[in-house]
Amino acid sequence: MKAIIGVGMVLALLVIVPSVELVMAAGDTPGEYLNRVDVIWSLFYRLMIIAFTVGIVVSGMIVWLVMRFRESNPKAKPTPYEKDGTW
Amino acid sequence: MVLELQKPRPIWQIMFSTHHTDVGLLYLITSLAFMFMGGALALLLRVELFSPGVQLIADSMTYNRIFTVHGTTLIFLFILPSASAFGNYLVPIMVRYKDMAYPKLNAVAFWMIPPAGALIWLGFADFTWYAYPTYSVISAPGPAADMWIFGLKILGVSSILGAINFVVTIMKCKHPDLPLSKMPLLAWSYLTSSLIILVAVPTFAAALLMLLTDRLGASGFFNPAMGGDPIAYQHLFWFTFHPEVYILVIPAIGFMYEIFPRFSRKPIFSHGSGVTAFTLLAIVGFSSWAHHMYASGMSFTEKTVFMVGTLAAVPASAMHTFNFLATMWGGRIKFATPIMWAVGGIALFFSAGAGGVVNAAMPLDFVSHDTYWVVGHFHLFVMGTILFGTVGFIYYMFPYVTGRMYNETMGKIHFILSFVGTVLVFFTQHILGLFGMPRRIYDYPAIPEWVQMNIIISIGAFIIGIAMAIFLGNLIWSSAKGKPADMDDPFGLGGKYYFPYQAKNPSH
Amino acid sequence: MGNHSTWPEWVYVGVVVALMCYVGAEAWNIERIIEHVPEDAELIKVTGQQWLWTFEHEDGTKEIGELHLEKGKAYHFEIYSKDVIHSFNIHDYVVLMDAVPGRVNTVWFSPDKAGEFDIQCREYCGLIHYNMRGTLIVEDKGA
Repeated sequence: MKAIIGVGMVLALLVIVPSVELVMAAGDTPGEYLNRVDVIWSLFYRLMIIAFTVGIVVSGMIVWLVMRFRESNPKAKPTPYEKDGTW
Repeated sequence: MVLELQKPRPIWQIMFSTHHTDVGLLYLITSLAFMFMGGALALLLRVELFSPGVQLIADSMTYNRIFTVHGTTLIFLFILPSASAFGNYLVPIMVRYKDMAYPKLNAVAFWMIPPAGALIWLGFADFTWYAYPTYSVISAPGPAADMWIFGLKILGVSSILGAINFVVTIMKCKHPDLPLSKMPLLAWSYLTSSLIILVAVPTFAAALLMLLTDRLGASGFFNPAMGGDPIAYQHLFWFTFHPEVYILVIPAIGFMYEIFPRFSRKPIFSHGSGVTAFTLLAIVGFSSWAHHMYASGMSFTEKTVFMVGTLAAVPASAMHTFNFLATMWGGRIKFATPIMWAVGGIALFFSAGAGGVVNAAMPLDFVSHDTYWVVGHFHLFVMGTILFGTVGFIYYMFPYVTGRMYNETMGKIHFILSFVGTVLVFFTQHILGLFGMPRRIYDYPAIPEWVQMNIIISIGAFIIGIAMAIFLGNLIWSSAKGKPADMDDPFGLGGKYYFPYQAKNPSH
Repeated sequence: MGNHSTWPEWVYVGVVVALMCYVGAEAWNIERIIEHVPEDAELIKVTGQQWLWTFEHEDGTKEIGELHLEKGKAYHFEIYSKDVIHSFNIHDYVVLMDAVPGRVNTVWFSPDKAGEFDIQCREYCGLIHYNMRGTLIVEDKGA
């Protein structure tokens, strides 16, 4: 549990620090203005990477569950609740 | 069973009935009729958008009217009544009471829907389902606009009356031996969505009245020429309609809470988690409304507050997904049509939510606001989650309502075509939005990427259209000529479920 | 029903909350940075009306449907509406802000590429909303 939070914090730092540096470096003089296109789209791509990663995990889980626990799977066995007949 | 077509009851018996099964059936038939009508409008839109230039619709005003009525119909005349349909049918059974708390009020709430629907369809307003001023005040043509306002007023009252009925039935009429903590999650979904209705909908009733008096020139609430503020309407509107989207989705999730355990042959993973998730969502859902208004000129602090409110609702929704997957784990699942729809619905629910998180991030909203990204996002919720959950539940309840089984092969084909079509249409719309195509436009310049994607989307929409035609055929044919179902266990799952789906209709 | 170990669910909810915190923090930071307008940004008044865009430069030059700007300079838009709500959008530069009658909304940007870019309306405003378009022409310095 702590390991997961720790890894998460490290990852977050690794991603936030470079982006903050990038925009802090933007100044107020001509030629050095913030490029809003770059900044906004880079946030978008970062979030897409996270969203697709989570998406693959969730979809993969759904596909695995459906295949493994369908009643026609050779490994399928009755649930404990089928004995009493109430669930 | 209430719809035995081979020995039909006199139609006035159903129409004048106040019994919860008959009112439920009336809601169901009405909502399905509007589903097909609203869906047909979408097909008209997609024919027109197939490529640049005029395909079918000769002028932009007609196009604008069609998308307005499409959205208004499917939200107010399909999703809400279909939730009421199954609520009316099942909530009294689930709380072990003989009927809803106020049967006559129940029938009145239903009978408000056809006249409201008539007002909306005969008027055919053009100002989008939001009806934002100042367009709706100074520019939208009447009497269409006024008819829409009256129609929605009536629907709002109908919603509130229905919600009162559900809350009183569940809280006051439930059997003394049934604690709330053991009440089925589907009943919980009606309780929470009804409570949201009671808090959220009156605000819009006020906004509609103000819009009407503004249109008549008697007031200037939203008209700057008379000292008003158009943004005030947006706050009132979204204060109602952001929680409204939870009102729409919560019953559909409730349907899935019936389908997953039943077909997995094990109980829901965690009843408490479901209750917590519904309650949390109902409360937190009120804190995010102005994320629809990020581009209207709000300050940085305001936008931050609403972003936090939006993101705070995500864990509650995520809990339902976990619950469903954990229920399937270790089960022995019979993949009949209802659970196929439920599984498809959950997969699309996740994609919808993920896209929504992107919108919630304030700077990203500048990319996606009012583009096809938003259209794709919310359709993944209303079609992908709500319609999939509702249709799955219609198939599930079909034998109990009609006494006959639907055609299973056609049901599966309906699912596969709908899923493929939904992905083709709404995932592509996300990308189209990223390329900048605005929503609510009758025609578009021949930008190559826009053209290619619009073709794909229109083809996907036609696939959904074919699937829905198959559904309509299956519903009608099977109601009359389907194989009689084993009423104790129509799906051959075994076991005895914890509440009987059989409702005793006094006329049978 | 209540005998399941619930720790997987807590971990899952924890991960979701952590992700939401990350998204929120990043978005807050980027938005804060984007909203900082450079001091020397030139003011352009943008007026939306059914169904065209008009522009007024600082020196009084007016343009209809087209906006000529210089590459590399910062520009600050004040956005007005004469009738209904419109939304001023230059998608290639991610410029988006509603034109609301009765108020002034502002947004700034700095074009870094020369060329022609589309201006479109992104809030439904009636009959010709679909064609309420314009062109942004970014020219090199000294052109």
